[in-house]
Parts: sequence; C-alpha cells; structure tokens
Amino acid sequence: MTPVLEVEGLVVEMRRHRVAFRAVDDVSFALEPGSALAIVGESGCGKSLTLRAIMGLLPNRGRLISGRVIVDGVTLPSDARGRGRGHRQHRRMSIVFQDPLSALNPVATIGSQIAEAPRHVLGLGRGASRARAVELLRLVGIPDPERRYHAYPHELSGGTRQRVMIAIALSSDPSILLCDEPTTALDVTIQTQILALLADLRAERGLALVFVTHDLGVVSQVAERVAVMYTGRLVETGPTAAVLPAPRHPYTSGLLAAALDVDSPEREPVPIPGSLPDPLRLTSGCSFQSRCRFATPECMTTDVRLERVGPDHEAACLHSDVLAAAQAAGRRG
Amino acid sequence: MAEALIEVDDLSVTFRSEHGRTLRAVDDVTLRIAEGAVLGLVGESGCGKTTIAKCIAGRVAPSSGVVRFDGRELGLKRATEDRRAIQMVFQDPYSSLNPRMTVRHVLSELLRVHRLVPRADIETRCRELMSLVGLPRGALDGLPSQFSGGQRQRIAIARALTVEPRVIIADEPVSALDVSVQATILRLFEDLRSRLGLTVVFISHNLAVVRHLSDRVAVMYLGRIVEQGDRESVFSDPRHPYTRALLASAPRLHQIELVRPTVEGEPPSPIDIPTGCSFHPRCPRSEEMCTRDRPSLEPVGTRAEHFAACHFREEKSPEAPEEP
Amino acid sequence: MSAAATLPVGLIEPEREVTRRPSARSRALHSPTFMAGAILTTTIVALALLAPVIGRYSPVSQDLLHTLAGPSSAHWLGTDEIGRDIWSRLLYAGRTDLQVGVLAVLFPFTFGVFIGTVSGYFGGRIDTIVMRIVDVVLAFPFYVLIIALVFVVGVGTHGIYIAFGLTDWVIYARTTRSGTMVARNLDWVAAAEGGGLSRTRVLWRHILPNTITQAIVYSMSDIVLVILAVVTLGYLGLGIQPPAPDWGSMISDGQNFIQTNQWLAAIPGMAVVLTGVGLSLLGDGLADILRPE
Repeated sequence: MTPVLEVEGLVVEMRRHRVAFRAVDDVSFALEPGSALAIVGESGCGKSLTLRAIMGLLPNRGRLISGRVIVDGVTLPSDARGRGRGHRQHRRMSIVFQDPLSALNPVATIGSQIAEAPRHVLGLGRGASRARAVELLRLVGIPDPERRYHAYPHELSGGTRQRVMIAIALSSDPSILLCDEPTTALDVTIQTQILALLADLRAERGLALVFVTHDLGVVSQVAERVAVMYTGRLVETGPTAAVLPAPRHPYTSGLLAAALDVDSPEREPVPIPGSLPDPLRLTSGCSFQSRCRFATPECMTTDVRLERVGPDHEAACLHSDVLAAAQAAGRRG
Repeated sequence: MAEALIEVDDLSVTFRSEHGRTLRAVDDVTLRIAEGAVLGLVGESGCGKTTIAKCIAGRVAPSSGVVRFDGRELGLKRATEDRRAIQMVFQDPYSSLNPRMTVRHVLSELLRVHRLVPRADIETRCRELMSLVGLPRGALDGLPSQFSGGQRQRIAIARALTVEPRVIIADEPVSALDVSVQATILRLFEDLRSRLGLTVVFISHNLAVVRHLSDRVAVMYLGRIVEQGDRESVFSDPRHPYTRALLASAPRLHQIELVRPTVEGEPPSPIDIPTGCSFHPRCPRSEEMCTRDRPSLEPVGTRAEHFAACHFREEKSPEAPEEP
Repeated sequence: MSAAATLPVGLIEPEREVTRRPSARSRALHSPTFMAGAILTTTIVALALLAPVIGRYSPVSQDLLHTLAGPSSAHWLGTDEIGRDIWSRLLYAGRTDLQVGVLAVLFPFTFGVFIGTVSGYFGGRIDTIVMRIVDVVLAFPFYVLIIALVFVVGVGTHGIYIAFGLTDWVIYARTTRSGTMVARNLDWVAAAEGGGLSRTRVLWRHILPNTITQAIVYSMSDIVLVILAVVTLGYLGLGIQPPAPDWGSMISDGQNFIQTNQWLAAIPGMAVVLTGVGLSLLGDGLADILRPE
C-alpha cells in the first residue's frame, strides 16, 4: 500500500543570535493510510517544527534546507520557507494546534471559521458551507450546534475550543491530521474525551494521524507506531507495543525510567543525568553521549544512523544490543 | 492525635465578578495537615486548589472560615515570622523569578532583611543553599534568563528555603517541566522533606506525581473537597465517581487500549454551580436524589481516615482489592 | 534548620553547566543600532560641549564685511546675513538646544515614573484620580498651552520647562503604570512579598528596575521631541531669544535666503535631523540591550 504521507530527509535550520543550527536534522518517516504515528520528545527536540515544516508553516527564523514531503505519491513543491502555494495535495493535510485560544480568530464566530475552508477552498456556496459547519460541530460532539455556530471563541471552554479546532481541521476533508500537542493544555478528563474523539474520527473517516506529544502515557493510547526525537534527530522508531516495553535507545529508556506511572507509586523516577546540549555547540557523533551510561569513545566519532533492531523497529545507537541485554538482565534479576 | 500544624476550618472564598455575580472559588473546605506530612491537593483547573494555597500563604483573604498555623489564626496581615514560615513555589518557572535580579541578590536580600545569618556569613549561606538544590556556586552570579526551566525551579526552591520555612506550598511545581527534569525536582522535594522535616502541600492535577509523593490526598471539584484520606485508600479504592474518573484518565505508560471517558461534558462555570451535588450533571452514577441533596464529606465505612462526599460512598470501587 | 548548613550535597545530580549570557557591555558592542546611536549622539554632544574651544568665533560677533560668505578657511561653514560665523553659531546653538532638551525631560521623567508606579501598584482610588488627570492633560493641545504660558511667563526657556513639566509626565506615568500593573500579578512579586519583604521595598527595589527601562528608552525620543519643540518655538520667535543662537531661529532667519543661500537654513536643519536620528537610534539600541533575555 502506498503510504499516504512520506517525509524524506527533512532538515530545518533555525537562527538564534545570528547563529544557525539544525533544529530538525534528517527526519524521515512514512505513514500508512488510516494509521497513527506518535512523535515523542521533550521541549526543543524539534517535534513541533517537524509538523510545521510538513505543513509549510515554519516561523520566520526557520528555513527548510532540504527534504521532501510526499502526499499520496505526489511530492509537494515548496520554497525555502517550506511553503507551497495552495497546492492541491496540501489540502489532504490539516493541523490541530496546542492552544486553541491563540489559534482561533477571536473576532469571528466559530461557525464562520469552520465554514471558511468549505467556502473558499472547496468552493461550496454560503448555505452549503454553513450546513457543513453545523454538521462538523455535531460530529465533534458539541451539543446544540445550530446555536453554537454563532459563539465566539472566548465564550467557550478549553475542551470545546479544541473540538472547534478539530472541526476546522476536518472541514477541508483531509486524509491526514497533524496534531501538535492538542491535549497538553487540557484537563485530564477532557483529554480523555478528545483522544476518544480523535480515535472515533479516525475509525469513521480512515484518517491518518501524526500526533506530537511530550507525554509518554498518551502515546500508547493514541498510536500504533512511535518515533522518539532528541536534538532534532530521530533516535528510535517502531511499534508502540515494542518500543515502550523494550526500548532500544538509551534516551527512550531514560525517558521511560524518569516518567512516573500512577499504577506504580513505589517506583522511584530516575532522572536522566546531565542536561540538554546546547544546539549551537553540537559535536560530531551521537548527541546523547554526554548523558548516556553506555557511551564509549566510538560514540563521539561515529555518525550514528537509524539501524534495524527488530521487525519494523529502528534505533540510532551503537550499543542498542548492550541496552537490550541490560534490560533483560534487569528483568531476570 | 497531635495537633495539626495547619488547620483549615470551613474555609470559603468568594469573588464578585464584574456583573455582580458571586463566584465561590472555595466552598466550605476543612483540612488538617500534620507537621512533616505531605498533602496532595488534586483537581483540575478551576477547582479552587490554588485559591486555598493562597489563603494558607496569606495572599488571599478568606470570605469565611479560618486558617490556623501552629494554633494561631492567620489572615492576610500576619507577623513576619509567620509569613516566613509558609513559603510558596509556583508553577511557571519563567515568571517566578525577577528577570533583573541575580540569584545572589535574591537570596542575600532575604538573609539580610530577616537577619538570618551574620553579615559575614551571607555568602557562605548562599552557597550552601545552592548546593542544597544541586546548583553550582557559579549560578549565584546568574540572571534568570541564563537558566533552563528546571534550573529556575531549583532557584525558586532555594529562595523558598532561604527564610527557613516550616511549610512549603508547591503549586504545580513540575507541570511546566520536561519529564526528565520533573524527576530531578521531585527527588529534590523528597530529599528536602525527609532531611529538613518540611511540611509540604503539593498541588497538582497529575495523579501519578501526587500518588508518588503524598501521604494524604484531597480531591477537589468546583471549590469543594469531594474525597480525602490517606493516599493508598483513596487511590486503590476511590469512593467518589470524580476520583475514579481522574484515576481512569491518568495517562499510563503501558496502556494498550484507548480509555473511554467515564465523565462527559466539562465542569460548569463556577458562577453557575449545579444544585444538589455539584458533580451530578457529569456523573455516571448520579440518581434523582443527587440533584436535590448535596452530599457532605463523611467517613467511608469503618475507615477513620477516608472521607467522600457522595451518596454512594459505601459502594466499593470496581478496581479495589478485596478486603482481607 | 541549621541542619541545612551541614548537609552534604544532595542526592540529586548537581548541575554542572550554567550557560553564560554575554555581558551588558558585550551586548552593547554587538548591537549596531546602539553603537550607531551612541557614536552619533556622543559626537554631537562632544561638539556642543567643546563649542568654546572649537568654535572659532563668538556666536554673536558680526563681520559685516563678509556677510553671506561661502565656506572658506576663515569660516568653515561660511557666514550668515550679518556676518556671524555659522560653524560657531551651530555649535553654541547645539549646546543650548541639547541642554534645554535634557533638562526639560528630567522632571516629567522623575515625576511620571513615580506617579505611574504608585498608581499601578496600589490601584483603587489613587489610580482612578491619576488616570483622570492624565486624560485631561492628554486632551490639551500642547502648543496652545505653551503659547499661553509664553504670554504669562514671558518668552524664553522658562516657558518651555514649565509647559513640558505640566504635560510631558503623563506618558511616563502611563507606561510605568501598565508595567507595574502587569508585574504586580507575577509570581516573582508574590514570592518577594511572601518572603516577608515590605511592600515599599518590593515596589521600588524589585518592580521599578523592571518597569523603568521602557521609560528610559522613551526619554530618548522625548529629548528629540523637546528639541523639536524648542526649534519650532524658535522658528515662531517664541523660544530662545536673539542674539543667543538656537537652531530654530537659525532656520527661521535662513528662510529669507532659501533661494540664494540655502545652507543658512539647511545646515541647522541637518543638525536637528542628525541629533534626532542619533537619539532615536540610541533609544532603540538601549531597548535591545536592556531587554532581560
């Protein structure tokens, strides 16, 4: 099956204080139709920028240096900003942002914002777009959609606003939904509702999903595949069911050890030693070596790439076998 | 039972909105916090946990009810010793430090004003405080903009410790931090609490953190405590549907199936609190009586230390282990 | 808690690295705006201060034999219609104008920042009263006021100082007030007050250093505005009186010769422009440097 979305060798450069650095460094992945991929990482790892580069929404300080985005087999044209001008294929993708309050226009009714794409992109008439907007409001679970059409963003609660964002994203009838931490700003009971909504929409419409988050606990509920990012690079990719119980990259393993789980209160979270390296001063070799207990001098000189470590499972580590052995010993002991 | 260090009795805080409507941010809350204990205050946004914290810390005046510390009633105006005794650590590391003051200035000013150490020893004490929170002494010369979120939280904790408090109220201190950094700060809290004998009020919406750190837990919804008790009772056998919903929604690392929401809808505006039990419109267990009778916080069964405000508190949680 | 003094370094991993931020001096040197503004402004100020030394003639001495002369070795920028050396007049005029500019801003700055801080922090009735006064002052057309004052107080710099003193403080009050209102709600203020520091101390030692930077940056453009006002008044004959030189009256006098001896008006005009540009760049540069991140 052709993947509905392919990203190849994405490189994004950002400028800070006149110096440029690679905020996204050679990121590639493929998304099958109807499937979901979670991109996980901490702040500054480049996960949000990756989504923005795919959508052509890079901030002014960012430039797309190289890479291709292929939707349904068609390569999207783009300039250095990563922007393509209204290419047809761009419409197959939509994005949902983290903070609906700043992503929604405060002076337009939510209904008109949802109707905008059907009207101006799909070319529906005014009445038809309005009807579509009402239908989408109903689809995302907003009660009394006819009346709520006329509401303004500030009148709504956080969860409802996020549903509106999802409705807007669906209004152009996309086949791919990119989500940038859509539930991070929401209360946990509301988060459950939104995740369930996304799952239902996926099932009903065959949507493919790229879900960016920093919360490992959300990953297993949302996506069958997970990609872990660190300092702009992919360090591990694979099925969620394989990666989370048995990670093959020390960073992934470190994240899991540092995370708290509500079902295991006795377990002490283990912090990852050291701190994030300065992106302006990255040395050659593996960017994690300064914090990694498996690091050897080789790690400093070799350019590490993603290598296969299991069925459909890749990790960018020279010592992923050592890690696996240590985990197995830990389990036996 | 020893006198609790902090007693909160029937505390209510109401605000008047612009249109003259009243907003009950905190409604009739009673708490006891023993010295050296950690109380986890849990709830989602708008539940009133931050307002309670501000009342205890003396930033907000109660509309009714009282806050007592060491037996003394404490209000907005309090003696300097009392103000020093209760310190807060805030959520946002990026707005909790004065952007124009070096770390040294912040700490030494407090030491000087309160005459905590002789002048000659101020620098030494600053260095001790830095090492207590795990920062190098060079950090003293820095301005907040030079530090990461985790480092800023450490500085904020150092600042709180400078005045030698007995109570630290931490309002979501790790929510804005990355996972690996959270672990460090949580360890720091544990370390300080066990070695310095601090009493901690830990406010969070993150159940995993609260379960890990607290001795006792109080769950809040729309300004009221809906369940409270010792940690294990509340977490292993929650007796309020809201607590159960929070527990079910907490993200788990190895959850394979999607969690279906057990509560629908969103919390109503605190200006428009429903009649009877404030949770009834969203509650999967609610019945007709819940719309009329507001349940009060009552002990659960024979347990002395577990209370729930639900008409069905005697029904065991489906996931609870069997009683021996 | 003296146990704290003897505790070993904690169980937690001590951080080794703290990134250094470039010092203020380094940031200043690297900001092209600041450097351009600083160089231009200091040059102009230096020239003005050194007027008695590098001005070769008294600004009022006339040489009626060499009126309207072009640039020469005797008169670097030529002479005006009554034979006064333009270069010397330019420098002395700069002295006067810059001096008035800075002095006229001093009171509004100090008073405005003070009132704004108090008003923003305490709110309530004080704030309402202050803001209503600000509204009234802002509604008043500046030049009408100053012309009226000139009739009362007489022409010259007194009127300018009084007029600016009465009207200019409001902008400082407003920016400082909003800065203070924002700061008041921030966690670090809550922490300072919670730490037992008095409100006075928090207000003047903690909040003010944060809010004053905006006022300082604005004051640079304010000096420019004052100079322009002085120049305009001089042009109208209401400012600095002859024979004391002032860029405004130089421009006004040079008007009559605009067809034939353009430089009489153009040179002082350029001086005003350069001073304005220099101060604006300096203000922008300061804004860049003073920003805490």
